Parts: sequence; structure tokens; C-alpha cells
Amino acid sequence: MRNSPLRITCALVAIFALVAHVAPVTRAEPQPAIETYAITNARIFPVNGPVIERGTVVIRRGLIVAIGPQVTAPADARVIDGTGLSVYPGLIDANTTLGIPQPSASPSPAAAGGGGRPGATQPPPVLAAAAFSPNVTQPPGLRPEVLAVDLIQTSEAQIEAARSAGITTALVTPREGIFIGQSALINLAGDTIQQMTLRSPVALHVGFTPLRGGYPGSLLGVFSTLRQMLLDAQRLREANQIYARSPRGLRRPEQDRSLVALFPALAREIPVVMHANTEREIGRALDLAQEFNLRLIIAGGADSWKMTDRLKDVPVLLSLNFPRRMTAQVPEADPDPIRVLRERVDAPKTAGRLANARVRFAFQSGALATPSDYIANAAKAVENGLSREEALRALTVNAAEILGVSDRMGTIEPGKIANLTITRGDLFDRNARIAHVFIDGQPVELRPATTTPTGAGGTATGTWTLSVKLTEGDQSVTLVLQQEGEALRGSIQGALGSGQIANATLSPNGELRFTVPVTIGGQTNEATFTGTITGNEMRGSVQIVGRDPGTFTGTRPGGGGPPSAAPPRTPPATQSNTPPAASAEMTGTWRLK
Amino acid sequence: MRKLIVFVLLLSLYGAAIPAAAQRQSASQQRQAAGAQETLIRNATVLTISHGTLQNTDVLLRNGKIAAVGQNLKASAAARVIDATGKFVMPGIIDCHSHSMLDAVNEGSLSITSMVRTRDVLNPTDVDLYRELAGGTTTLNLLHGSANAIGGLNTVVKIKYGRPMEEFIFPGAPPGIKFALGENPKRSNFQSQTQPRRYPATRMGVEEVIREAFTRARDYKAGWDEYRAAQKRGEKNLIPPRRDLQLEPLVEILEGKRFVHSHCYRADEILMLIGIANEFGFKIRTFQHTLEGYKVAREIAEHGAGASIFADFWGYKIEAYDAIPYNAAILTRFGVNVSLNSDSDERARRLNIEAAKMVRYGDMTEEEALKMITMNPAWQLGIQDRVGSIDVGKDADVVIWTGHPLSVYSRVETTFIDGEIFFDRQQDLARRPDILRERAELERAEPNRPPAQGGASPERPRGRRPAYLDADDIWDRGNDQR
Repeated sequence: MRNSPLRITCALVAIFALVAHVAPVTRAEPQPAIETYAITNARIFPVNGPVIERGTVVIRRGLIVAIGPQVTAPADARVIDGTGLSVYPGLIDANTTLGIPQPSASPSPAAAGGGGRPGATQPPPVLAAAAFSPNVTQPPGLRPEVLAVDLIQTSEAQIEAARSAGITTALVTPREGIFIGQSALINLAGDTIQQMTLRSPVALHVGFTPLRGGYPGSLLGVFSTLRQMLLDAQRLREANQIYARSPRGLRRPEQDRSLVALFPALAREIPVVMHANTEREIGRALDLAQEFNLRLIIAGGADSWKMTDRLKDVPVLLSLNFPRRMTAQVPEADPDPIRVLRERVDAPKTAGRLANARVRFAFQSGALATPSDYIANAAKAVENGLSREEALRALTVNAAEILGVSDRMGTIEPGKIANLTITRGDLFDRNARIAHVFIDGQPVELRPATTTPTGAGGTATGTWTLSVKLTEGDQSVTLVLQQEGEALRGSIQGALGSGQIANATLSPNGELRFTVPVTIGGQTNEATFTGTITGNEMRGSVQIVGRDPGTFTGTRPGGGGPPSAAPPRTPPATQSNTPPAASAEMTGTWRLK
Repeated sequence: MRKLIVFVLLLSLYGAAIPAAAQRQSASQQRQAAGAQETLIRNATVLTISHGTLQNTDVLLRNGKIAAVGQNLKASAAARVIDATGKFVMPGIIDCHSHSMLDAVNEGSLSITSMVRTRDVLNPTDVDLYRELAGGTTTLNLLHGSANAIGGLNTVVKIKYGRPMEEFIFPGAPPGIKFALGENPKRSNFQSQTQPRRYPATRMGVEEVIREAFTRARDYKAGWDEYRAAQKRGEKNLIPPRRDLQLEPLVEILEGKRFVHSHCYRADEILMLIGIANEFGFKIRTFQHTLEGYKVAREIAEHGAGASIFADFWGYKIEAYDAIPYNAAILTRFGVNVSLNSDSDERARRLNIEAAKMVRYGDMTEEEALKMITMNPAWQLGIQDRVGSIDVGKDADVVIWTGHPLSVYSRVETTFIDGEIFFDRQQDLARRPDILRERAELERAEPNRPPAQGGASPERPRGRRPAYLDADDIWDRGNDQR
């Protein structure tokens, strides 16, 4: 081209295009769209001070920046009109297993006609970690080195259900064991566990349930094992110190990571939470803590009000899972013992009694099946002698203090983490609704839980008609199952006698396992049923003590079973679509993430 | 003259001392009156066990002890007076083999579980305790079950039902441990579905397991003795040996500081354990059940062990086939200290009837029979200085019966432990309408109402065990899931 201006223009265009392609595009980090929020005109409960009848809370980049009646919303804030709303610090659930997957029943390869679909089961992370953890000396259940923070699956549905019920923060522990492991305090929103973790480890957790199949197999052995391991840990610590000072002439002490994990508890650097409800369980926990000079926290605490004199320096994580009668009215059944009747009536009064006795306590959900019952039961405690202020403290700052994070959360103060639970109406009113929940300064989409839990096969609840094939022939048995969240209860009736099931587990894949006493030919023995539920059918194998194994098949009336015995207080929150009942049906509204 | 002055001086000193002493005495008397109850049981037939039967005799209980036994006793004005005319007073029954108030009876996963302690799993709210009080039983020896050749450590308790657990523990009772021989530790009669098949499976295996344990205990003791000797020599830089909770009680047995209560049936295994005891240099305190004890009564007597047996329960398993109801009589004639035990919450309510059977079988005297549930078990547990008879200075563990305790028609009126009433029939009957009223009120409360629809079927009671397993303390209470 002879035309100079045109040539230059072309060149410029070419260069520009090249630069535009090659030059690094400065991509801004994906920021949340809005970083600053202001809730105005609301009733605010800072907890560390008097109630602000009408004021504003400003949060920015995950922290509270201002709170007060005269505070105005900054220009860049997204304003939420808080008229009619009450703003509280984010509620804390001081002891849960949220996010820890259920160990699924291992599929029995020899189950005739049973067993699931091939290749359908993934080894659950809990057991996998336990089985393949390197160089472990202790059996599962006696591994204090297990960290909850390593096991939490952030996508678990329960986390969503809990935060939609107003809970912003939870202490999470592994599920089972004697030395259960070390807990983590997490916020219930975030993309990764690293984002959600507030503190880990928080405490060492101890339970008093024997292991199955091996020592210790009884409560007797549980205490001896605890005692021996703590003694061994003390000795290892001493041996390491002696060896470190001067190793010559000494055989090197053998290291054991489980014992090493106990050192902080023995040094009182980390508290030890023991799960105890009855008076004697709490007494045993106190005695064990005294024997080894541990910093004790009691979790559960149903009978704690009876022994407040021994709990002066021992905080209690009080369960709000109040016991209720679950059995139907059957005229010929034995009546409940008076002790059980009293316990059910006393449960809501415990918090008030602890407050009067000046025992430090915070609330925990205690494996409540319905998360919205957490606040509802706290309200019941208020109706039964606990002041509103104390109840709110037990849901917020008390938990923060006991778990060692009161310098960064638990109250609405500038500089603290912006976790807020905002209700329409007072928190403890019967018709209160969760309006907004802020976690780390971001609002959470509220999706209140339905009564049916998600799961591949829907719920196991229903009346199943089983045909159990044994050497004696086919036995007809009626199995009534009731699933509430994670708890599975039920009973059998018919040709194998009647009995209550126990040790029941149901995996998300529909793998079912339970034990139940059966009576054949006048003899009663324990039977273990292992099988799979697919839609409205189940099949599997049964092993009865002292007999040849058998198989069983079962059906229940179609349509996903009756909506039996819903928890008595269904929350007034709106119900979302019920998930599809049977796995075969694809109809329904699917939420794609 | 000087003597007179000295005398007067001494007298004045004495005179000065008296008011002070009197003051001290009244202060302590005040403390006593304020602290403990004083009870005067009047005009009863007192079965002292140690010095015969006394007619129309009073028993005075004060400060938790038996203060006086005699006729026409005087008590302070504040004392509770019980007219026991026509009634019988006897020491509280001592049950040498019980599994009441235990949240777990057996740690069946291993053959040697000497590290476990019944003290860790006590349940003071067990209602069977109240029923045992109503049967005149006041002291229990809580034993580990018979699932293992060497079981766990025992606890001796007074049945202070309603009190905190710490108050149950019998003060100063020597420590003990449970052994078991024969069919139960070798699992002849059942398969555990929670535990894998376990060694030993034969009687020779049981013997080997016990011998092996004591050999290890001997080595453990030697290791610690060596460490302590090295410390004494002034050696620094020592790492102490590992404390092994399983072997420490066995060392205590070797040192004579822990009683061995061994469950056994057959004559050969009784002799076997005596052999091991002689080999390792310790004494067995009691053989429990010992239904073939009569066959080796001489050897048991020579060893110096006691026997704690059933009156006439037999035939419930092969090793119980040769039992005879004259067992107690024969053993007693050979000089063995014999007690009757219950090994059952149900039988512990009527041990007086078990004693009565011994009068029928073997012509034991009434006194010998009653001794088997009082003085003899007290000796076997090493608490004979405190309980087992009605003697001044012993603990006020006494029971008032409506008739002679060896009669089937007699019932317990009142049970005292340390001078306090823990069961009274009239009080119990008077409280029943209140309890019914409380129950009705509680059942009306909202959390106690059955669910509106559906609801699980009521649970079958778990704690009931079939009668044929009654004597076999291998029963695992509902897999101990509490």
C-alpha cells in the first residue's frame, strides 16, 4: 500500500489487536458483589450491653464496623430496613456432628439377594481415613488425634438446614468413639472448610460408649482404657522429657501419635469435653477429670441441675434435645417408669436451674432432628424459668467464652466477626421467623429444612411386610420403621416375636442395618438384619445368634410411605418442595448447584 | 499437813477440771444429738448371731453404731422409740455375690480383665436395691461377672439407697477381685455375637491363662522393684517402667493385699486353683458357687478358703449336675466358712429363706443357718469387725422382722443402715397414694403424652433375663449400651 496514513492506521490496528490479545488481562479477584451491609431501624441485642431499641448495624468485609442508635448507613452499603426486625449475634450450636458423614453400613458380599448395586458405594471418608491412616497404633474409637476439621464435608445438607434455622456457627466433633477426636468451630457458610474454620482444635472429646467387637466391649473396659491411655500418655511425656535431656544410656521411648495427641489435654492447654447426661455419668466424668487434672466440660448435662455444687468450675454444653414420648398408646404395655416421666417434664427446666446456681452453660442441639427446634426449645426453656437474657447469652456469648473465641465473636461489637441472626419478632416468640442470617458478613440464602431428609431412597419410614427365610421356613414379620433425621427407630411383630430394634443405621445409599431380639421355638436371641432399601422394597440377610444365616425380602405400601409421627412442632416456616420419594421417579423440581 | 495441802490442791485442780470436762462433754453431746439419730428398739427377740438369742431385749442405736443391747435400756428424750414386742431383730443380711447396681457386669472381650473396676460403673438408682432392703439385705459384694478367667475388681457396698454413690462404699472393706473357672470363661454354653471366638476354650486353657497372668505379674513386680532399687542407689536419668493396670491387681494378690473370689463348680477345678495359689504363694479368700465343694471339703478347709454357695439351686448346666443341698452342711462340718449368696437381684430379696433351707438339709441349727447370711459372709469380705452380728460397737445395720427370719411368713418391717432407716414397710405403704398421684400428674404433662399419630410400639423390657440364666453371671445387660 502506498498510502502512508492508511498503512499507519493498519499497523496501529494490528498492534492494538496484538496487544489486546497478549497483554495480561488484569482480572480482578472475584469479589462478592456487595461487601457492606447496613441493617437500619432494627431492634438490636448486642448482648454485651443493653438492648438498642432502634438502631443500625453496619458490617463490612465480614466484620462488624458500627452499631448504635445514631449510626447512619454508609453510602456504599446495601441497606436492609430493619423495621420490625430483631438483630442478634449469630447463634452458636456448641456441640454437633454437622458435616461429618455417616459411616455407611459396609455391603456384605455374601448377602444372598441383598447387597446394593455394584460399585455404587464409595468408602465414606470417616472410615477410610480411619482405615488407611498411616502408622496408627490404636483401633478406631481410641484415636484422639482425629481432627474434625479433616473430616467435615462442607456440602452436607444438614449444614444448610442448620443455618437456615438461624444457627451461624457450630462446634463439630467426629461421630463416634471413646476418644472421639478433636472438635472444630466452624461458620456454617463458605466454599471451603478453610474459609469456614474459626478455630481448630477446640477441645478433646470423650464418650463413654464401648467399642463393638473387641476390647473395650463394655462400660467397665471403657474406663480402664481411658485410664490406661492417659497414664501411658503421662509416662510418654515424662519419658520424652527425660530422653531429651540426656539420651545416653537410655532406650528411646516409642512414640505413639495417639498418646502424643493427649499431651495438650494433660497439660490443661485444651479442654476435655465428656459426654454425660445422667447423674452417675456426670459423676464419672468429674472423677476421671479429677484423677488426671483435666479441664472438664460436660456435654449433654440432663441431670446437671442435680449436682450444681460439683459444677462450679465445669461449664456445661446443655442439650436442647428435650426427650419426648415416642411410643404409641397401647393399653397392655408397661407404663413408663416415673423416673422417665420426670425426666421429660424436667428437661426444659434445667437451663433455668443452672442459671440460678450460677453454673456456666451454653446450648447445643444434641442431635435434634429438626434444626428449627433449636430456637423453639430455647424458647421453651425461657417459659420454664430461664430469663431471656440468660437464654440469649447461652446461645451466643457463653458458647464463645467456653470455646475460647469470645475475643472475636459472640456479641455485636465493632471489630468482631459479622455473624448475625435476624428475626421478625423477638427470637423467643412463638411466631418468630428467621428473616436474615449473616455469616462472615454475607447474607445466607434461607432454605428451611423439610421433615423428610434427603437421601437416595427417600425415607425408610413406614410399615414393612417382611418375609424372612430361615431353615425353619418362611417367617412373616411386620417391621415398623420410623426415621427422624438420622435416628432410625422401629420394632418388629409377627412370627419372630416382638421387639424393639437397636443399633440401626441407614446410609444415604439406602443400606440398612439393625439388631433386634427375635424369638424362635421359645428361644430369644439377637438377630442382625443387613439389607438395602430400594424404593418401596428391601432385601438382605439376617444373622441370628446360634443359628444358620437367612435372607429376607420386604415391601411397604407404595407412595413413599405414610408421613408418620412428624416431630410434634413443625416450624411455621414455609415448606419447600418435598424431594422425590422413590428413587425410580424423576418427577419433581431439581435444584442444580 | 503437807499431804493435806497437796490433797487439797489436787482436789481443787480436779474440781476446776470437772466443769471444763463437763462443758466439753455437753458440747460433744450436743454435736452428737444434732448429728445422728438415736433409736431405741424395744422388747424384741434379738438374734445376736454372736452370743445367742435374747428374749425381750432392747437394742439402742446411736451415732450409727449399736450402743447397747440389754433389757430396759434408757434412751435420750430425742430418741426415736420403736416398740418391737413380738418382733425379731437380726443383723442386716450380707450378700457375698451380687451384680446389683452395676451398669456393666462383664468385660467379656478378653480373658484377663483385672484392669476393670466395678467402682467405675456403679448405678445407685437401681430399684432392685430398694427391693433388697425390703428383704433385709444391707451389704453387697458387687462382683464382675464370670465371663473371664480373671475378671475385674469388686466393690463392697452398704445399700444406702437414695444417697450419692460415694456414701455406698463400705468404709475400710479390703479390696477383692473375681476369678472364674469352668464353663463360663471357656464359653461352653453360648456364642457371643459381638466378640470373636476367644481363647481359652477348655479347662486346661483356663488354667494356663491364669498361670500365665501370674507369671507376667511376677515379672512386672520384679521390673518395678528393680526400678525402685535403682532409684535408691541414686541413679539418675531413669525412665520408669510402664504402669500396667491389668497386672497391678495381680501383684496385689501376690502380696496378699487383695482377696480372690473365684467362681467355680467342679472339684477338679477347685483343686487346680488351690494348686496355682500354693504355687504362687497366695491364698484364695472364697470359692463362689462351688457346687461340688463338698467333694473336696477337706482340701478347701486346709487351704483356709471360705465358700459362698447356693442353697439348693442345681442342674442348670452340666457342671451344676452334681450339686446337692447338703453342700453347706458338709462344708461346715469340715470347718469351712460357708455363706449363702444370691448372684441374683431376685434371690437377694429372700436370702432368709435360703438360710431356712439349710435347717431342712443337713440339720444345721437355726443359728448356723443365720450365720451363713451374716457373720460368715462378713468374715469372707473382711468386714467382720464392723457388721455381721449385734454387738455393742458394731455398725447399726439391723433389721426388724415381723417373725423369725427363717419362717416363710416373716416380713421385714424396718431396715437400718448405720442407724438410719432405709426401708420401712409402713412408710412405703403410706407413700403409695402420693406416688400414684404424682404419676397421674406427670402422665398428663405434655411431653409425656403419646404422639398424635403413629408412634413406635412400646419397648419390651430389656433387663429381664430368662430364669435359666439366673445363676450365670455372664449375662450382658443389653450389651451395656447405656
